[in-house]
Amino acid sequence: MALIDEATLTGPRSAVRPPDQRRRRRRAEAAAGYAFLSPWLLGFFALTAGPMLASLYLAFTNYNLFASPEWVGLDNFTMLFSDPRFIQSAKVTGIYVLVGTPVKLVAALAVAMLLNNRRRGQGLYRSVFYAPSLIGASVSIAIVWKAMFIDQGIVDKIGQSVGVNWGGWVGNPDMTMPMFVLLTVWQFGAPMVIFLAGLKQIPAELYEAASVDGAGPVRKFFKITLPMLSPVLFFNLLLETIHSFQIFASAFIISGGTGGPAGSTLFYTLYLYQRGFQDFRMGYASAMAWVLVVVVGIITLLFFRSSKFWVHYSGEGK
Amino acid sequence: MKRHTLKAAGVAAAAALALAACSGGSGEADPEETTGGEGGDDTTPVTLNFTWWGNDDRAARYEEALDLFEEQHPNITVQTAFVDFPNYWTQRSTEAAGRALPDVMQFDLSYLREYTENGHLLDLAPYVGEQIDLSGFDESLVESGVLEDQQVGIPTSTNTLALFYNPNLLEQTGIEPPAEDYTWEDYNEFLASVTEAGQTTAEGQPIFGGADYTNTFWFFLQWLVQEGKTPFNDDGTFGFDEDDMKEFLGMAEDLRADKAVYPVDRGIQLLPLGGFTVNESASEFSWDNFLAGYTADSGTENIEMLPVPTGSDGEKAMFFKPSMLLSAGANTEHPEQAATLINFLLTDPEVGRIFGTSKGVPADEEQRAAMELEEGSVDARVVAYEEAVADHVTEPVPVPVKGFGSIEAEYKRLAEELAYGTVTIDQFVETWFAEAQMMTQ
Repeated sequence: MALIDEATLTGPRSAVRPPDQRRRRRRAEAAAGYAFLSPWLLGFFALTAGPMLASLYLAFTNYNLFASPEWVGLDNFTMLFSDPRFIQSAKVTGIYVLVGTPVKLVAALAVAMLLNNRRRGQGLYRSVFYAPSLIGASVSIAIVWKAMFIDQGIVDKIGQSVGVNWGGWVGNPDMTMPMFVLLTVWQFGAPMVIFLAGLKQIPAELYEAASVDGAGPVRKFFKITLPMLSPVLFFNLLLETIHSFQIFASAFIISGGTGGPAGSTLFYTLYLYQRGFQDFRMGYASAMAWVLVVVVGIITLLFFRSSKFWVHYSGEGK
Repeated sequence: MKRHTLKAAGVAAAAALALAACSGGSGEADPEETTGGEGGDDTTPVTLNFTWWGNDDRAARYEEALDLFEEQHPNITVQTAFVDFPNYWTQRSTEAAGRALPDVMQFDLSYLREYTENGHLLDLAPYVGEQIDLSGFDESLVESGVLEDQQVGIPTSTNTLALFYNPNLLEQTGIEPPAEDYTWEDYNEFLASVTEAGQTTAEGQPIFGGADYTNTFWFFLQWLVQEGKTPFNDDGTFGFDEDDMKEFLGMAEDLRADKAVYPVDRGIQLLPLGGFTVNESASEFSWDNFLAGYTADSGTENIEMLPVPTGSDGEKAMFFKPSMLLSAGANTEHPEQAATLINFLLTDPEVGRIFGTSKGVPADEEQRAAMELEEGSVDARVVAYEEAVADHVTEPVPVPVKGFGSIEAEYKRLAEELAYGTVTIDQFVETWFAEAQMMTQ
């Protein structure tokens, strides 16, 4: 998308002013373009932009779905920050994002590097490692995950066979977070494929030159692979971070929609759902949604700000 | 340029995900295209939407009953949908917001007030005596579906609380079941002694006396009624205070501290089963119509029932809870056909036979009579239980306040935290009252 923008926008601007006839044709083309876009535009305004604006309004109201919304100003927002369960949900989600995302990316990069070497059956390996990404967010996997981690489940049995008696993780508030982190790490396939594509782009000459200069594998990794991969790493980091904030389905299934045991799986979106659709406090839920939008927006902005210090685009001569 | 575009995409993605959580849920609400809005005559084809909560077993029974209904009323087609209890209310509330409730739906007392106050339910009074025949109903039961002078629902059946116990496990542990006049203290002792017996199941799981009974809001209400309190006043305020709730929760505090009640972490992992249905827990309080489910899940027919414990003044002060109300959406285009369907489900003897006591003991006399009460069958035992405890049923059911469903759910959530020890009783009560105040306003 970015590349197209640059090509199409800089092209005509630098060109000589087109004669009237050509301009008219361009306008007709633009109209046709918008006509073809209209289904998407319609969907965007009716199903995304409209509801977003509505929720922005509702965030400042008391709305229980039954009676008309009642304006309460900033009440919902001030209430949020004295709500212990809101704090709990922010904490749970924060830990999940901070732990789950880096671990997942490290796993994805490690496997991508292993798969980057040419060997037989490589295509098969790639597909196999990618498969969990396709099904990982599904309801069925959440159910399977729960079955694996309950009392006398396979994980409990494995633990017992090596002499660790950790019992079922599902019912233990201290063990639910590792369980969810494992679930997300297991789905490393999507970032792995992107890393693989990035690794293929690194010119082999760089490694050859480094070898000639006597660099070892560790040095090559930190001095060549990581810097050359940094745009891809940045992309993956941003995407996976935002993705982590989204966790809902698996938490909903595994905790039966409660966020339990003892609030240990009360992820932000799950709490938002509870407030909106179980307690029918849509105003409060909308306020939560907008706090999340702002927080994720700020985090995204910080990523972009920080990127100039560690992301190297090959075109920028760094 | 490149960064700018990516940034916009990132922010948009963030926005989309946050709002995604706000949408969805009303998927199957779309009412079938219907014809013949006049509804008067019997020949115009009409389609009614009908929803309920429940499991597959209930669905099979409803389908059987509705086949019969469609046979008798060839011009009416019934479109059905069902889901579990919590999600049921999510769907109904989104439909209510769009004024698109089903023509006929199963309803619960807990949510009746909210829907009535906002005019979402049809007043069935004009159809009583016309399409709906309530001659076989107890007056007070019909009355329980009246709010704001409107007949917004009619109960299908009644439930009352019961103590279920498993004689097989008691025999193994050598503990006698409580006597019929047992008190709450007696029950505490019973729980502790079964657990202390230290027996295990064939799989090596320890056998417990029962779960922490203070974890269910309805038991708290039952106890309040025994203490002579009216849980909810007509103006929506509470007839109990923080100290009452602290006292009730405190009744099982020693049991929790001694780990004498069924462990919460195992209970959570067994859902939708529980300690009682996997035969690791010897007793459990619940609604009496649960007997059918208990025998099916636990695989033993040998489950006995006792009334609730006796209160401090020597009375059990039990109540019949009208359950499985049938209501019609105020937005229905076919009120008369909806009333016809409601009448059929409430009073047709054949429907009584199909459902048995799986929805509670039928409210209608003819339906009760039509049940095939085989000696010792689940249905016969539930009916026998309600007859046996009839003398103890001296109080009216506490009429739920607006937001009851939410405060009940909040109580359950906090009870789980209490069991894990992440909140104290004082924190429990403080949080509950703060939340309840918001949810019932």
